[in-house]
Amino acid sequence: MRKFLDFLQLAGRSILHRKMRSWLTVIGVFIGITAVVALISIGLGLEKTINEQVAGVFGVDTFVIMDENMFGGGAHGGGAEEYALDLDLLKSIEGVKVAAALRERTGFVQGQPDEAGNPLQGFLPVLGLSPELMTEFQSFTGELTVMPGGRLFEAGDVEVAVLDYKIAQRLRVEVGDTILVAGDGDAELDLTIIGIMAPPEEEQEEKDGAGFGVRFSAGSEGDTISVPYETMDLLWGPADDVLVTLVRTEPGYDVDEVADRAEEALKARGSDITAVTYNDISEAIGTMTSTISAFLAGIAGIALLVGGVGVMNTMFTSVLERTKEIGVMKAVGAKNVHVWTIFLIESGLMGLVGGIVGTVLGLGLSALASAFIGRFFNVDLIVVASPTLIIVTLLGSFALGALAGLWPAWRASKLPVVDALRYE
Amino acid sequence: MVLLKMERITKEYKLGKTVVRALRGLDMEVAPGEIVAIMGPSGSGKSTLMHILGALDTPTGGTATIDGASLQELKESQLVTLRGKKVGFVFQTFNLVQTLSALQNVELPMIFQGVPRAKRARRARDLLTRVGLADRVRHKPNELSGGERQRVAVARALANDPEIILADEPTGNLDTETGAPILSLLQELSRQDGKTVILVTHDPDAAAIADRIVRLRDGCVSTSGRHAGEETAVPSPGHDAEGRAVSEEANTSSLDESTPGSVSTSCRHVDEEAKASSSGFDDRSEQPEAHPPVEGSGTETSTLRVDPEGGDTNA
Repeated sequence: MRKFLDFLQLAGRSILHRKMRSWLTVIGVFIGITAVVALISIGLGLEKTINEQVAGVFGVDTFVIMDENMFGGGAHGGGAEEYALDLDLLKSIEGVKVAAALRERTGFVQGQPDEAGNPLQGFLPVLGLSPELMTEFQSFTGELTVMPGGRLFEAGDVEVAVLDYKIAQRLRVEVGDTILVAGDGDAELDLTIIGIMAPPEEEQEEKDGAGFGVRFSAGSEGDTISVPYETMDLLWGPADDVLVTLVRTEPGYDVDEVADRAEEALKARGSDITAVTYNDISEAIGTMTSTISAFLAGIAGIALLVGGVGVMNTMFTSVLERTKEIGVMKAVGAKNVHVWTIFLIESGLMGLVGGIVGTVLGLGLSALASAFIGRFFNVDLIVVASPTLIIVTLLGSFALGALAGLWPAWRASKLPVVDALRYE
Repeated sequence: MVLLKMERITKEYKLGKTVVRALRGLDMEVAPGEIVAIMGPSGSGKSTLMHILGALDTPTGGTATIDGASLQELKESQLVTLRGKKVGFVFQTFNLVQTLSALQNVELPMIFQGVPRAKRARRARDLLTRVGLADRVRHKPNELSGGERQRVAVARALANDPEIILADEPTGNLDTETGAPILSLLQELSRQDGKTVILVTHDPDAAAIADRIVRLRDGCVSTSGRHAGEETAVPSPGHDAEGRAVSEEANTSSLDESTPGSVSTSCRHVDEEAKASSSGFDDRSEQPEAHPPVEGSGTETSTLRVDPEGGDTNA
């Protein structure tokens, strides 16, 4: 292997001797490498960013119970379906610390009479919320603010309601007024309004929207009437219209295990649900982003292939124009394998230099692109410089160069010495 | 003792559909320490012979041995080792590697033999000093004059301390003034270091340093004779006349060759063999008729097999 260093030197000299062409070849390689490194880095950054956002919402101890088809791209294509839930059963499962659910119905609602004395009424969406949603799961709900003079639900509240600001205006009610809500059959309740939600600021709205469609004030229309979860039972009976359930586990319990247990128990009760933990979501995001990354990297790979063909072309030219030199080397005692090695190192080196330049440019480009994308979508994209990616890229670029040089090098080594010496 | 021995060497090339017979049953021997000049017109097979003598190529037929090793029996890699260690080449066009300095060019053969770096550099420097280029070690070939380049090439040829120096027209691209030091350098290598030097040349000045001149014609040795050598710088008139006489004779034979059925006189034995295998003795009996100058055949047969002693008596 002592010879290897000498050959490295010989190859390096010959590359430097043909600076212009070598650089053009290297440019061909690094354009491809830049594209690959940039795209993969952006992909990794995106994945990490989303993961951290999800982790920020979930924490390490929380899972979500959703309709079976909601997660994992079921037959319904991810549309939110309502499901039946036994919240008390869920709460009794070992390891569950807090469980809060959200259910929705459309019901007949009657507010205060207008100037003419006609009561304002209509069918409106009514949400049933566990009070814990607001106290325990603020990372999911975001900051909920009521207008001055009102409050949100507390434990023990029953015949109360919190209204969105728009519906409050339409029903002409204020805090302290009552509305009539009719449920199934004869069930109807007069609910006292204890709070009216403040109109959302635009930015707040968007940030919540970046979550996972777990929206508590059904849409931005601002026409939702919220009542305590228990109150829904009085109006519409046991829950078969749950949109989402959030569960926090006891400290010391494995969240995935508890989620599995909960899923099993609830399914046994006929609920078509699935329990989704942070790990599940992270996995799904990983699959998604790596699919996108692979697709983009595939496109970049074409650029890389072109670079490789460039190296091959250069090496063939090099073999041709150095035919005589090859003859001389063989005349002074170079074996075929020596000639082969020198040419292979030469093409490998060009690949490697292309790889180094491409990696640096690619990382720079991904940082730039992340900043740009981040500004555009109003998120802080994390810039990832993965050591694995860098090492694999550098090794890969050397291999690319060497691979492209394999055939030319073989041709060079097989040149008959007498013919090579005679070549002009 | 014989260092190089060529027996009935034939070499054929295929150029498209035609077979070119570059060597046609050549016999030659070279003793260690000898300076032999190989002369002859273009196309006489000089280069082909040099390639075989230097183990760059193997003959199609016959036996070529270098220091007892038969070329045909060696594998490609063994041939490489053989020429790497036993033969040093000096070319007409110098053939230095342009990207390397003088020192690195001299180091090159040692790199392939795996000589350690420090030892290699020291020896390369010594060799360049010896050829008078101590102050040019860092220069690239394009920064050197023709004579200097050829001296680098001589130093490179000496790198692995070979027994044989093969110089193909070493002064061909140099004028007399720059060529002379190269020739005396080669001569010195034979006289002082006991190297065997084989010169392929057109240049009478170059041939003048030789102990012996082997003249080729049409792929065979036409004459081989002891040269005046060190005592006289130019060939003696008698020798010169002899050489010319021979070449005229050979010219007629090559003219004859264009007529069907005729053969080159100097290579007769090979052609005989070829014909004998096909049509028996008839050809051999016909042959004197095809070549009227029968008197010449005596001198020709003496040149068929050339050994240093034979050449001696001829002169």
